Amino acid sequence: MATFALLLSWAALGLLIALLALAARLKPAKWRRAGLLMFGLGTGFAGGLLGFWLFGRLFSCPAALWCAALAVCLPAAYTGLRKRLVGVV
Amino acid sequence: MDEHNVPGGAGLASPLPAALPRIGKRARWRGAGVWIARILLFLCLLAGAFCSLCPSGRTAVRALTILPGILSASQPIWQKPVAEPVVHTLRTLSTASGLVYLDVYAPSAGAPPVPGSREGMLMITGVGDNRQEPQVVNFAQTLARAGMVVMGVTTPALMDDRVDAGDREAVVEAFQILQHWPTVGAARVGMFGISAGSALICLAAADARIRDQVAFISLLGAYFDTTTLLETLGRRAQVVDGKTQSWSPVAVPLQALASTIAPALPDGDGALLIQTFANYPAGALSSQQLAQLAPQSAALYHLLAGDQPRSVTENLAALTPDLRALLVQLSPSSVVSQLHAPVYLLHDRTDQFVPVSESQAFAAALARLHHTYDFAEFGIFQHADVRAGTGLPQLLGDGQRLFRLLSKVAQVGS
Repeated sequence: MATFALLLSWAALGLLIALLALAARLKPAKWRRAGLLMFGLGTGFAGGLLGFWLFGRLFSCPAALWCAALAVCLPAAYTGLRKRLVGVV
Repeated sequence: MDEHNVPGGAGLASPLPAALPRIGKRARWRGAGVWIARILLFLCLLAGAFCSLCPSGRTAVRALTILPGILSASQPIWQKPVAEPVVHTLRTLSTASGLVYLDVYAPSAGAPPVPGSREGMLMITGVGDNRQEPQVVNFAQTLARAGMVVMGVTTPALMDDRVDAGDREAVVEAFQILQHWPTVGAARVGMFGISAGSALICLAAADARIRDQVAFISLLGAYFDTTTLLETLGRRAQVVDGKTQSWSPVAVPLQALASTIAPALPDGDGALLIQTFANYPAGALSSQQLAQLAPQSAALYHLLAGDQPRSVTENLAALTPDLRALLVQLSPSSVVSQLHAPVYLLHDRTDQFVPVSESQAFAAALARLHHTYDFAEFGIFQHADVRAGTGLPQLLGDGQRLFRLLSKVAQVGS
């Protein structure tokens, strides 16, 4: 039960980060809202797993948080960088 | 052209200009919202990275996890998903004085790759058999759930309500066992003593075999010098921050001191003193009984009973050289200069078991020696137990001090 709650908390953190990314207008134009939310959920989960293995159970939630935050910023950063280098939307 | 149809003409009503300021305001708020969301996202990234990637961040998370468990004397519900499952192992050590019990509370999982090994803490809780005490078990489990391996040491003498300097050997051996416990880093093991257990912790931590390997010494409700403790008991007064205040002890320290010193007294005297203070204050000796005691036994009685506060110096002088040597042997003051690990002192400022002046004296000695230490006085503890019904301001103030000390202890394992 505790482990299920932990997995759920990673996913919830990822979803929260994705919602923040939506509010911050970091969603790439070609993506759908649901797509970004699922992306955030997935990266939160993956970050939590990585943190669980690397740092231990106690630090898996902070790991989920920063992994999801970094991941949701990447598409917008990539698009912005591409715009500057290539000049293509 | 009709002036009424000319844009901007006098008297012409148009909805567009009035709506423009409202739309502009909305756009400004939306813009502000976007930036707030971006800042929050950035803060989440920073906070998450700090709390998992940085050792100081992990230390803070560990200390914040341990603090509520100690203050509430139980595991908060929100911690259940992130708490490590704990396994309790009981081992015994055969010594000349009997079996020493080692109660080990450890996370069931292996040590994570970062930092690669777990922190260990050897704990001695004072006189009596405290292995099943709810607050002791809760404390050990709280630390274990936060990733530490905690080993409680209980010796036959402690179970007999007395402190025996000879138990130092067993404590050193227990420390070495903990250093080699699965998942524990040999350089990440510290010691924690409560009340009379602090004396054994200090004596063992000063031992040449392990003094350079002890990561920290943390003491709650400790005494510094047995002679000054007897003096305070005899006067029923302590000097705190330069001011003399009256002080009344409970029966437990009197019983413990009587039991500890009794073996060094003439036959019969020791047993009588133990019996007397087991029923304290009801069992006070009559003048006839006092007259039958040896001078050093009578002096010790008066010091513990506190019935001759003006004759404390004379009573201390009446103790034999053997007794005085025993008192020195049991005092952390005799080994303070041999301690190499940082010392963290915690004391209940209204402690009725061991006066707070003892920890103040300990801190002063460490300061004179330029030894790394920290000292905090608390109102949330009743000697070593967490006080029930503490108000929020006290909880916040003492919680912040406890967090500071917990961080220093948790740093070792991060």
